[in-house]
Amino acid sequence: MNIALAILWKDLVTEWRARERVIAMLLFSILTAVIFYFALPDQRPETLRTLTPGLLWTAYLFAAILGLNRSFALELENEALSGLALAPGGRGWIFLGKAAANFILLSLVQALTALAFALFYGVDFSSSALNLAAVIMLATLGICSVGTLLAAMAVRTRLREVLLPILLLPALVPVLSGAVHGTLSVMAGEGIPFSSVQLLIVIDGIYLVISFLGFEYILDE
Amino acid sequence: MTSPLLRLKDIEKAYGPITALRNISLDLDHGETISLLGPNGAGKSTLLRIVAGLAAPTRGTLEIQGTAHDRRAIGYLGHATLLYPELTARENLIFAARLHGVPKPARRADQLLEEEDLSPVAQRRAGGFSRGMAQRLAIARARVHKPSLLLLDEPFTGLDVPAISRLSQRLIELRNAGQSWLLVTHEVERAAMLADTALIVLRGQVAERLTGGELTPQNLSEIYAKALDLQS
Repeated sequence: MNIALAILWKDLVTEWRARERVIAMLLFSILTAVIFYFALPDQRPETLRTLTPGLLWTAYLFAAILGLNRSFALELENEALSGLALAPGGRGWIFLGKAAANFILLSLVQALTALAFALFYGVDFSSSALNLAAVIMLATLGICSVGTLLAAMAVRTRLREVLLPILLLPALVPVLSGAVHGTLSVMAGEGIPFSSVQLLIVIDGIYLVISFLGFEYILDE
Repeated sequence: MTSPLLRLKDIEKAYGPITALRNISLDLDHGETISLLGPNGAGKSTLLRIVAGLAAPTRGTLEIQGTAHDRRAIGYLGHATLLYPELTARENLIFAARLHGVPKPARRADQLLEEEDLSPVAQRRAGGFSRGMAQRLAIARARVHKPSLLLLDEPFTGLDVPAISRLSQRLIELRNAGQSWLLVTHEVERAAMLADTALIVLRGQVAERLTGGELTPQNLSEIYAKALDLQS
């Protein structure tokens, strides 16, 4: 557990000082929101409200891919990844530390992106903020679990920027399905649908266990 | 009879059709220091990464203190420093200490900073360090958990002359204090000066082994030149 906490602290401190990853993710997701807004043929408020969940999660996904790629690319500088791999004990703790840092940073970006969506698309998240936050957190946990594992797998390959989305997007289909469905219901004032929560909790559990155990093997050359 | 600190038996490493290491067997006792000398691509760094636990051998066995591989016994300094440029020197050491479960990480970091004469720059970010300072910090990082065996992969690369002599002096001090190490280098003189035993590695195999009185810079230089001639 100490290893996970040490890595979480290190990732947050380095990001606070460099401010590279969060700014890039935020700009990218806000730009996605803006581009979709102008690309839509119909900008009537009711159409925008219907489309917002899907577009919001597309922007979140793009930001996540960018952030996850950077998360391990930073570990290549000075071969710091080898330093992590040399730590005694299970390497699953390395995964937990990295995934927790990715979760916190992505959550920050998601909150600010939601504000941008509220501004551009004229949707009001305030009445359903808590339920929406719960859906987003559940889905983000799944994204960061499997995303951290796949980013670590891709980082040592020559085509890592391309490889991560190719590996990650298919794995996120069930997460995205639960997230969009849940967001749509919450925004329509219907509360969180049980089926979405169930799907997201099961997928989160599976991805967390697989990633925790799988990390033991992927840091070896 | 006590087990050696490190025992390698018939280690082989292949990357697809390319065999990087063949039948490497080696014992390293507590307090012993060994230099691995060889040209680029001979397999020295691969061997070090296998001992570090960063790569798995294709065949053969590796024991540390008579048991299976234990990362706690290993301190590793590779081609790069393993440091985070955004963290200060002290933070880098505290982070490494926490990774290795060292009790009182801040105290251990301060102790190492003092030993490496880096206390005045403890609060400076590692990204702004000269190559020599970064290398001293990297050695402190490798020693943070008091490993029985230090693995040093070409630690003199990129250093200027004063930094090289300072690092050599530091390694001699560590050796005199009983620290064991495996040192990979291209430099014949340093390979002879800094270790009790020198192994010449060519094409993934140990071609020559010099130890004791026969390990002089001149002798090693002649034997190394002959071995390279034979190889070409």
